[in-house]
Parts: sequence; C-alpha cells; structure tokens
Amino acid sequence: MPSTTVTSLGYTPPDGGWGWAVVFGSFLSIGFSYAFPKSLTIYFKEVQEYFSVSYSEIAWVSSIMLATMYAGGPVSSILVNRYGSRPVVMVGGLMVGVAMVAASFGTTIMHLYICVGVIGGLGLAFNLQPALTIIGKYFLVKRPMANGLAMAGSPVLLFTLAPLNQFLLDNFGWRGSFFILGAIVLNCCVAGALMRPITITAKPPANQSGGDDDGAVGKTDPQAVRLIDGKQRPERAGCLARVNKLIDLSLFKHRGYLIYLVGNVVMFFGFFAPVVFLAPYAKHQGTDEYSAACLLSIFALVDMVARPGTGLVSNTRWIRPRIQYFFSFSVAYNGACHLVCPLLPGYTGLVVYAVFFGLAFGMVCALLFEVLMDLVGAQRFSSAVGLATIIECGPVLLGPPISGKSFNNLIFHTTYMYFACGVMMLVPGLFLFIMNFFNYRWLKQEEHEKKREELPMGSARELATMEETKDSEQNIKLNQEKQLTDSDNKEP
Amino acid sequence: SLHIIFINVQKIVCFDDYFTTSQHTGHVIVQELEILKPQKIELSCIISDIPNNPTHIIGYWKKNGNEIENSKQTVYKVDKQRFIFKRIFNIQVNDLGNYSCIFSYLDKQEQVTFLLKVPVMKDKRDKPIVSYVGDSVVLDCKIKRMPNTWQWYKSNGTEKVLINATADPMNYKILLEKNVTKLTVLNLTEEDAGKYICSAVFEIKSSESHVYLKVLSLIEPLKPFIGITIEVVILVTLILLYERYGRSRNDSSVDDSSGTDGRRTRQRNLVH
Repeated sequence: MPSTTVTSLGYTPPDGGWGWAVVFGSFLSIGFSYAFPKSLTIYFKEVQEYFSVSYSEIAWVSSIMLATMYAGGPVSSILVNRYGSRPVVMVGGLMVGVAMVAASFGTTIMHLYICVGVIGGLGLAFNLQPALTIIGKYFLVKRPMANGLAMAGSPVLLFTLAPLNQFLLDNFGWRGSFFILGAIVLNCCVAGALMRPITITAKPPANQSGGDDDGAVGKTDPQAVRLIDGKQRPERAGCLARVNKLIDLSLFKHRGYLIYLVGNVVMFFGFFAPVVFLAPYAKHQGTDEYSAACLLSIFALVDMVARPGTGLVSNTRWIRPRIQYFFSFSVAYNGACHLVCPLLPGYTGLVVYAVFFGLAFGMVCALLFEVLMDLVGAQRFSSAVGLATIIECGPVLLGPPISGKSFNNLIFHTTYMYFACGVMMLVPGLFLFIMNFFNYRWLKQEEHEKKREELPMGSARELATMEETKDSEQNIKLNQEKQLTDSDNKEP
Repeated sequence: SLHIIFINVQKIVCFDDYFTTSQHTGHVIVQELEILKPQKIELSCIISDIPNNPTHIIGYWKKNGNEIENSKQTVYKVDKQRFIFKRIFNIQVNDLGNYSCIFSYLDKQEQVTFLLKVPVMKDKRDKPIVSYVGDSVVLDCKIKRMPNTWQWYKSNGTEKVLINATADPMNYKILLEKNVTKLTVLNLTEEDAGKYICSAVFEIKSSESHVYLKVLSLIEPLKPFIGITIEVVILVTLILLYERYGRSRNDSSVDDSSGTDGRRTRQRNLVH
C-alpha cells in the first residue's frame, strides 16, 4: 500500500464512531444506485402493454438510467469536490424522487426515457459517487471493512425492492407504483443527512510535510501552488487548468490508475452478462421457472454475505498490503467460474455455480472501489471514481447485449458465451496481477530513492521542507526580478 | 359427405409401454384433442403385449361416462402382437366431451380417454389489472389456435353484456389480430371496474377467459406517498438536529477548557 495515502488526507480519519452511521448512509445510497434500475424491470411488461411498444424499447429505460448514472460520474465528482458529499446526495435523492413522480404522469414512452432515464439516472449518480467518497474520508485502517459493508447495500436493497415492487404493482398498477417509489427513493436524503461533513483541524503551515497537505486545506490552494511556480508552467494550459481545478485530470498520468482503468474496462465486458443470463440459461438447460428464480436468490444471498466477508478478510494484515493482488485474484476467479460453468451437469451443477459465482461477484464488487482508494488516496478518489465510471460506461452497457446476441442464436452459443465471459475476466485478472506486481516493485524503488535522499539530512522531512520553502521564496524573488528586467527589456 | 380425420399416429396411445411397465389395474390414460369445427373423427386405440396372448378381446366405447349403445364388439388381432379398436364419431356442436375406449381381457379392464374440447386459453391472470380514474387500460387475451372471431363481454353479477366498440368508440376499442385480441377501455370510471370476459368464437363452440379490472381513484397512492414523505422529513430533521445539538455541546465544552486556544483552533476548523 503506498504510504503517501496516510499523509495525503492531512488528518487522521476517525475510523469509527459516527463513521459507522456514515457507512449505513452509504449502504442506502449505493444500494439504491445499483438496485433501483434493476428492480424497475418488474414494471416493464405492464408499461410495455400500456404504451404498446416492443420489449427492447422498454428495456431502453433501464439502459438509459444506467448509462446516465455512469456518465454522470464526473459531474458528481466536480460537485463533491466543491460542496462535499452531503448536499450532493440530498439533491440526488430529491432528483430521483421528483423524476419518478413526474414519470407516473407520463403519457408517452419518451416521457419515461427522460424522467426515469435521464433525470433519475443523474440523481442516482449524485448518490453513488459521494457515498463512496465519504467512506474514504471517515476510514483508513478499517476502510476495506467499511467498503465491503457499504457495497453490501446493492444486493440487500435488490432483495428488498424486488418483492416490494411486485407488491406495489399488484395493488397500485404501474402509475401508482412509480408515484410511491418517488417517496421511497427520498430515503436517499436520509442517507445524505447521515453523511456529516468531517471537520478537520489543520496543522500550522510550517510543519506541513508535503505539497499534498496543501490540498487538504481548501480550494484556494491550487492557486497558491501555481503562484509559486506559476512562471514555470506554460500559460497555454489555461482551459485545462480550469478543468483541473474542478476535477483532477492529472490522474491520467498516475500509473496505478491507468492499470486499474485498463483492467476494469476489459473486465466489465464480461462482468454483468452472466448475471443477466443466469436464469435464461437455467431455463435453457431444462429447469422450471421457479427453480431458475431460486438460483438468482441463492446468488443474491451469497453475494450479500460475500461483500462484508471480503471486507473483513481484506482488512487483515496479511491481505491489506497486497490488496491489489487480492483484487486481481477475485477477477480471475470470476473468469474461472464462468469457464467451468458449462461443464457442470444438471441442476445441482447450476446451484454450485451460483454459489461460487455469487462469492466471486461479491468479492469483486466489495474490492472494486477499495483498490481504487488504495491506489490514488482518499483525496483524489472523488475525481478518480468519476472518471472511472464514465469510461466504464461503455463496456457495462455493451456487455449484456453483445453476449445476448450470441445467446439468442444456436444452443452451443450459450456455452460459447460463458467461455467468452470467462476469458474476458481471466485476462484482465492476470493482467492486473502482473502489472500490479511491477507497480509495487516500482513504487518500492521510488520510495527507496526518496529515503536515500532524505537520510543524510538527519531529521529528514522538516529540514527538507524548510529548505524547499526557502528555495521557493528565492524563486519568487528571482522571478519578480526577472519580470522587472523582462518588462524593462520589452520597452523599446 | 363423410369427412374422416385420422388421428395422427403419434397421438394414438401405444400400449406397449403401458402393459409391460404398469403394475396396477384401473389405470386411466387421458389424451386431449382440440376440436375447432364440427367434423367426423375416428378414434383408435391400439393394444399390444397382452399377457397370455389371447386371440381376441372385447371392447366398447363410453361417452361422458355412459356406455354407448351397441358399441360392444370383438376385436381380433391385426398382426401377431396388436389389436386395433376404432370407431368413427360424428362430432357436432353438442358432442364435445369425454370419449373412452374400454376393453377387457381375463379379469382386467383397461381404459383410454379422449378429451374432445375447444382450445383453452391456458394463462389466466389471477391478479386484477389496476388502473386509475380518467386513465385508459388494455386488456388482452391470446389463444393457440386462430378463432373465427373474438368477442368481449362485461359481467354484471350473473349476466354478460356484450361490448360493442363500434357503437361506443369513445369508451372502447377492440383490436382483433388472429390469435390475440386487445380491448382498450378509455376514460375509466369507477363503474368500469369488474370482470371482463373475452370469448374466442370457434365454429363448434366458444372458448372463454376472464380478467378482473380494478379502478382506483387518484387519492389511493397518495396516502402511502405522504406517509413516507413525512417519515423522511422527520428523520432528516432529527439527524440534523442531533448534529447541531452535538456540535453546540462540543463548542461550549471547548470554550470552558481552553479559552483563547480553543477559539483559534475553531477558526482553523475547515469543512471537508
């Protein structure tokens, strides 16, 4: 684990106390973000009959919602960077509530696309990113555990929302249900209220141990830093600099982050498709509808337990320093599950597959954002997750339809699909494993070099920073003199 | 003219498996047949592998549990193993029902029953469709075989009232499309609630299915909505109040203990 994450926050996270209430709030927000679009599929048949449209036109509602949720990541990150988590989550909850109420009065399918899809999706994006970010602000030592618990919100809420939606549909029809769901989703505002902003007591500037700490003090500092070495940076970065103030684009130079992105993009192609096709595949193999639905329940239950379990395991001192390896292992394990699935015989084989796949799915989900926090640090996490989700938007949306095309064709294409998904998970798993091995090595080398430079100075950092500030002050003086001479030279 | 339909050989019950595997008597086999129009049908029962290999067996036919007069006959072997026992029935409008061929050998009696009926609509909705006053709703029925036409009725207690979409286009629209029919009820009022019957009309008889419609007023979903909204507002207020109370308690304690230092650190407090 890179040691710079400790100092990059500028304070010691509480790791408990109100933090657990925040975890509960994140649990709700993350749960709604992931489970809500999936649970809406229960209404599709009735809405489809009402508007007399085809199934694929209705399925677009869910896709647009998911796409907007992922694409709205950067917007969400900018707002969180500026205003903190709480207001963004509360606004997001309100947005989804208003969107659902507006949708319940809808007269055309386009009405639903815009209300539920765009506005609802954006509101959910405003729930997801801040919920993840605030965990990094409240936890450090117990962070994997907190992440695992919060991510468990997704299966738990799906388990609750699915029968609830069916109940609402039976009693109120789709319009009444959308209306009531608008109120239910307002509970995200409660989750937002729990996300109390953390008040930090900043240390006096003379003892600060690195440039990153300046970032903790507030948004005025990027300008301060720029003043010190302003003349050295070319002015053509004007527009980019403004974007950089809102969202940290320098992340794209971060080696670990790039590895994470590449691995994740490939992985997401094969990640969700097996979940979508578990029930149809089971029916294809000859099981009845009820047993196929049971498979999904088994999968969800195992997923529910696996997420906090993985959090607990990755918090141990054996796994925590090597958490990137653990993540690569779980991705590869997913792939192995899919490759084995077509070989398992009968219904018991499918049950075994559902259990192991549930475990694998839970592991990856629990670690997905924890490893990102581990790589970039809690300070830049907000921007990192926003950029990551907008890039992952593509594979997440394209994955199931592409696999679905092969599924709908000949029978042996179903096994082909599982092989394809398996490979699409194994390859990034191995890639992440190998690249992180090198990354750890390079990070260790860089740390060694840093330490070697600091050792002869004795009580290291403070002396070094004092010298740095002296140098920078001299630089300012030099630059000012240079400015004067330049302007003198310019005048004819 | 005589129009004979031979039951598809695969549909004729073969007794090979039955006799060798079945251990108990009185076992009845049932075969369903969908009849669309009046016609003459030949029902055949093929029997084979009877123990002790008799030269002939006695068989007769039953309709709806009652023996058909003069149907008893002696059946002789066709080839070394099999007996074929068949009869032609003239199926008209009132002749749908259960037809059984029964035959006896030694002391046992075996029976195969053919159920002759119109195509049935299998997936009946047991849950009512819910809609709202002023809204419209689509009720649909589908069936496997194509009927001559479809008809919709609304049930008022015991009697059925035919729905005429051409006479009342403001309130009803009927769509007829081969195997599917859709009834759109517009401008719903609370009286429109109840049981709707769709009838697939075949030449021989009609096949019916029903669906229940519930019409709610707009106030119905409003009640849970307001309830949940109030709960959310209360929770948010409680959480924010708790936080403010906690903070004011902390501030007052800091003032008591550290005097000027406390004020300085408070100035440095930055919201993250």
